[in-house]
Amino acid sequence: MTNSNQTTTRKPGIPAEQKPVPLALTARISTLASNQSTILIGVMVLLIVVFSVLEPKFFSALTASNILTDWGSVVLIAVGQTFVVISGGIDLSVGAIIGLSGVVSAWTMANVLKVDQTVSGSDASGPLFIGTLVSVGVGLLVGLTNAFLINKLRIVPFIATLSTMGAALGLSVIISSGQPIGSANNFDLIAAMDPKTNPLSWALIVVIVVVTIAGLFLHKARFGLYTYAIGSNTFAARGAGINVERHLTLVYALSGALAGLAGMYVYLRLGAGSPSSGTGRELDAIAAVVIGGASLMGGIGRIWGTVLGALILFTVQSGLIMVGVAPDWKKVVVAILIAAAVAAQTLQSKNGRK
Amino acid sequence: MTGEVIYEVKNVSKRYGSVVALDGASLKLHAGEVLGLVGDNGAGKSTLVKVLSGAHQPNGGKIYLDGVERTWGSPREALEAGVETLYQDSGLAPHLTVSQNVFLGREKTVKGIFGKMGFLARKEMEHDAHEDLERVGIAVPASDRPVSQLSGGQRQAVAIGRAVAWARRVIILDEPTNHLGARQAGEVLQVVRAAKAKGLGVIFISHTLPHVLEVTDRVVVLRLGKIVMDAPTSEFDGDRLIGVLTGTIQTVRVEGD
Repeated sequence: MTNSNQTTTRKPGIPAEQKPVPLALTARISTLASNQSTILIGVMVLLIVVFSVLEPKFFSALTASNILTDWGSVVLIAVGQTFVVISGGIDLSVGAIIGLSGVVSAWTMANVLKVDQTVSGSDASGPLFIGTLVSVGVGLLVGLTNAFLINKLRIVPFIATLSTMGAALGLSVIISSGQPIGSANNFDLIAAMDPKTNPLSWALIVVIVVVTIAGLFLHKARFGLYTYAIGSNTFAARGAGINVERHLTLVYALSGALAGLAGMYVYLRLGAGSPSSGTGRELDAIAAVVIGGASLMGGIGRIWGTVLGALILFTVQSGLIMVGVAPDWKKVVVAILIAAAVAAQTLQSKNGRK
Repeated sequence: MTGEVIYEVKNVSKRYGSVVALDGASLKLHAGEVLGLVGDNGAGKSTLVKVLSGAHQPNGGKIYLDGVERTWGSPREALEAGVETLYQDSGLAPHLTVSQNVFLGREKTVKGIFGKMGFLARKEMEHDAHEDLERVGIAVPASDRPVSQLSGGQRQAVAIGRAVAWARRVIILDEPTNHLGARQAGEVLQVVRAAKAKGLGVIFISHTLPHVLEVTDRVVVLRLGKIVMDAPTSEFDGDRLIGVLTGTIQTVRVEGD
């Protein structure tokens, strides 16, 4: 009956000839991840060259700082989206959270803290700090609602976050009566957001610090490892003793909180909390994430890729406007970029699996 | 040859709605023993595995580990008590590296405040994962490679090596030789022997009856949610095992001891 005597008496271990993939190919695949950022930087450089040739004014510090300021408003939600996408989910509510958190924060500053146009300078920092907490808190609440719908009611992330997106949009219109709430137009910090006067604003520095910390937690810490594990194989993650529901709750809460912070950033840019200020931004975030190389199937993605993806997105957008393409084409371009990035990924993984 | 009873279930039942998946099953597992668990599809094998691994709570019956009655609220609790389970075809996260998989759920962190924040000691884990796997007889090329780049046999070897390296009392292997070639299956059976030599109790679930006959000390046969036979492997040959499995050979239930 025992037909495998010769195999069982051999020394254990995996024989060399059993390696399925030739080394040259595996080396190529393993460097793919690092090549990804090289490709993205290459694309970035190419875009800058092309736009600068078409419109010499493009190559300027002002353009760079305009792009960076736009980038700041989307990279936060794109980073949150990166965690969500790696975990195998999606968060469509982040754009609506920008509007809602900005509106609630502006409303709080205007009506509770009684901040008006006469407040300026250092008087503003206290209310702005509280406003930031309120904004992040609103985002956190929506994120926790997403987690509740996904974990407890077993609604797929797409639908769960689509419904909170609708609810958040509706609430922000109700609270603001559809009008922007401008509580503090002359805050120094708001003036400091203007790229003409201040290319590297405080708000942008905060964004860069937050993105860096998020990147460290994604790539170096247990939090990130569990995010990858769940997106890669939920069953294996559960089998290894990971509390999948609790981790996903943290992931959606993080995405919501970062969207709340982005709401404050956008508030500072506009000098007002506007219910429509984040509309459509979730598409920008998803575009940045997939251009950055993350897989919507989960398990794959990097913060650095998302950061570059968002940069490419805004370089293309402002480049097109500067060479004279009507701004209405922006959304079409974002859509094309998403499709192209996903198509490139699919082709790449098909070749890689050969 | 085999030691004291380390893991025992008495009269466990599990119903899913009106379906009785497990009907008063009892079994004992000794230290250093490989127990084969066989049964046709729908016989209740996977339900019994889930009860043993803590994934499902039985509707009735008792579970004892080292003579102490236990109830598992989750697989994590069973894991922490020393009961390790390797599920069928799903033990590993393909996008993670070998060492990340080996240490998943039990990561080593760096020292100090960053360790408390969950920052990982990657190099140390890569080194230790390699050693742990080697100790149970598995030579994996590099522990910093993603599992998706390994062959099916290598993946299974890593999965089982991981389970054996971590298990302290009991290891449950659900179809560990599924989809493997003869040589790769031979490697897996070798690791099963390493686990036995380590003094672990091994529960070996398989459809591949020659593997069961080759590696187990005792065989428990499940049919329609009931244990219909429990006897030393030496009492079986292939034909007899198939007969008991399918019910063409009628059996009187044999108690564990």
